[in-house]
Amino acid sequence: MIDIQHVTKRFGAFTAVDDVNLRIERGQFFGFLGPNGAGKTTTIKMLTGLYEPTKGACLIGGHDIRKEPLQAKAGFGYVPDQPFIYEKLTGREFLYFVGGLFRLPVGTTREKIAEYTEYFELGPFIDRRAEEYSQGMRQRIVLASALLHNPRVLIIDEPLIGLDPRSARLVKDTLKGMTRAGLTIFMSTHLLEIVEELCDRIAIIKDGRIIYEQSQSAAHSFDGQLESIFLEVTK
Amino acid sequence: MHELALVLNVKANTLLKGLLDFRPQNILKNLSSALIFGGVAVGVFFLARGATIYLVQQAHIGQFLYHRFLSMLLYVFFVTVNLGNIIVCYATLYKSEEVTFLMGLPISHEKIFLLKFVDNFFYSSSTLTLLGLSWLLGYGSCYDMPWYFYFNAIFFVFLPFMLIAALLAVLFLMGLIRIALGIGIRWLLAGIVVLYLSAIYIYFKVTNPVQLVEEVMRYYPNVNQYFGFLDAPAVKFLPNHWVSEFLYWSVNGEPGRALPWFVILVLVLAGLVIISAVLARRYYYASWLAASDARAMQGPRAGRVWLPFMRLGERRLLPPQLDAFLKRDFWVFFRDPSQWLHLLLITVLLLVFIVSVGSLELRLAQPLLQVSAFLVVFLFNGFLVASLLLRFVFPAVSLEGDTFWCVRAAPVSLRRLYLYKLLGSLLLVLAVAEILAVTSTVLLRHDPVLVTLSAFSMAFVSVALTGLHLGAGSYFASFREKNAIRVASSQGASLTFLASMLFLAVTSVILMVPLKRYFDLLIIRGFALTDWIHVPLLLIGSLSLAVFAVSTGLGLRSIRRDF
Repeated sequence: MIDIQHVTKRFGAFTAVDDVNLRIERGQFFGFLGPNGAGKTTTIKMLTGLYEPTKGACLIGGHDIRKEPLQAKAGFGYVPDQPFIYEKLTGREFLYFVGGLFRLPVGTTREKIAEYTEYFELGPFIDRRAEEYSQGMRQRIVLASALLHNPRVLIIDEPLIGLDPRSARLVKDTLKGMTRAGLTIFMSTHLLEIVEELCDRIAIIKDGRIIYEQSQSAAHSFDGQLESIFLEVTK
Repeated sequence: MHELALVLNVKANTLLKGLLDFRPQNILKNLSSALIFGGVAVGVFFLARGATIYLVQQAHIGQFLYHRFLSMLLYVFFVTVNLGNIIVCYATLYKSEEVTFLMGLPISHEKIFLLKFVDNFFYSSSTLTLLGLSWLLGYGSCYDMPWYFYFNAIFFVFLPFMLIAALLAVLFLMGLIRIALGIGIRWLLAGIVVLYLSAIYIYFKVTNPVQLVEEVMRYYPNVNQYFGFLDAPAVKFLPNHWVSEFLYWSVNGEPGRALPWFVILVLVLAGLVIISAVLARRYYYASWLAASDARAMQGPRAGRVWLPFMRLGERRLLPPQLDAFLKRDFWVFFRDPSQWLHLLLITVLLLVFIVSVGSLELRLAQPLLQVSAFLVVFLFNGFLVASLLLRFVFPAVSLEGDTFWCVRAAPVSLRRLYLYKLLGSLLLVLAVAEILAVTSTVLLRHDPVLVTLSAFSMAFVSVALTGLHLGAGSYFASFREKNAIRVASSQGASLTFLASMLFLAVTSVILMVPLKRYFDLLIIRGFALTDWIHVPLLLIGSLSLAVFAVSTGLGLRSIRRDF
């Protein structure tokens, strides 16, 4: 579903991501870990078409993000680490705007907005302008916008930053439910307990290179050992 | 002052790093900046020389009248610097994240105020300072003034004059922030616009330039006398008057009579700095808190019910993506007071310009004056269009802002987004430009040939300048800057504006010779040829298309850059 083929990203002389090669199958919940500045966000930005790889290719649903950007982008939803939304639009208007970008019919968008308003408890603020929103409110609106077009892949960068425990629970439950329904999730995070709780598979990146990969299943669980693994491989 | 020096040092280092970045792209950028700014400075220098020599030596209006004209120009300059600072300083002194950061540190409020004031001054007035200094050098060179005149005039007259305008602006805003809590920021901004327009109207009503010229000219040819008794008493309290008096007595070889004006300017500036520090210590923090509170307490504001067909979520007027962009841009624009108020202000200025052209009597006998009149109006039309583009089209890509991620990660063709911005801007600008071109030419002279020439030339100019502003805006895009005014006053914006002035100058040169021939035949021989019109139009059209194509190519490449 997601195929990152020997991707490298250089900024001048600095190599932020160095020959990263990953393949994530349909329905898998993939956790992408690494210390600060390891290259997680850069990899995600290449995957979503916000950065152009210096070398290699990123494929989503079989479509190369560089060669067939529109087909590739139609298949995924993206939640960035900083949930910036238009300050002068209300949450509802933002969702309609995103619906327009994905060419959803107005009626379908309206139904989806109603569904997510209830599910993400957006009701009290959805008709207020985003300039009044807290981080948690923005995060929930952005998550709703990423799911609006029923993507097959969800790419999330640090989904729980700044969320209160209730919002965090809501997001975790949503992600769990989505993978059960067959959604492929690529998640970057620092929160190891979230990874242990949610992910089927992880990779750790350091200095732009993948240094550790492991799958988690009923037979093989991290069982609270992920922190020591992380500290060991990233030291 | 240790903290202040530390912060200033960081800023200076950042600036130096930018200048001393020797990557080819940066060298090219700095070189083209230097070339364009330098070119404009040289142009203003020669314009100042030409205007001074013409008015004093050829038109013989006399030193007094010339310096009163300078005083009027300086008044408009003062108001422009003042208004520029007041517009930018809300963002710099009240909304800036740097201020929020500094407020959390043990630095006194008056120091933060002074630091941000300097920041604001450089940001909003550097281009005007360059233009003013070039003018001063050109002016001084006509009178063969010694080096110390320039030294005094620059450091103790011109800079204090600019700083007084800027300091008054920030003090004024500090007071107004408190009022804004009561009446709201929209009404406050509308009030400021009305106040500034009234200030210019009252000044020209009080100084009455036409009456002044008539009274001075009664003494012709002894117009070099000093006619200070004709000045309205209120005018003597204005800094522009002090500067013009300093210049008048300096060029007339009486430094003793120039000295008091020099002293007044320096003393007033020193006084204002002290007053600012005192007021900032007392009120800056309170006004900063008030501004923060005002932003936080905006209250529930749902989407407006007016213009229901423009609401997101209503039936689509256009294909889905285009409809989404159009409606988003509409609401984001009209919910931002700084955007629609500026549009309102520019609309008022356009109307004032059209009415003023209508009252001009330019059916002159000399062909050269006819050519000049046509070109001046053409250039002013171009200048207005360029200003409109700089303020509203140049920031169009930057205003995608941090939220650009949601467009970049969606299945949207960036080429289509760029073309939507380009065509949308072009349609609006063409409409305004054609109204201006046709109305002003008809009001100036009812001549179908000239109206056609003006309409087509301005259409070509609009195409070129729209392409240039959007392309350069995409190349210099700053997605982290939320304030459109700051985007439109950035270095990239100044460069683009100066480049568009160069373009306008070239089009005027193309028009000059055929126009002269046309008026020669029309006025001296009594008949007009119309077939000449194709040549300048073809040249301007080709030049415009070339500028448009290059700029659009650059813009399209730039919008695809890493975000």
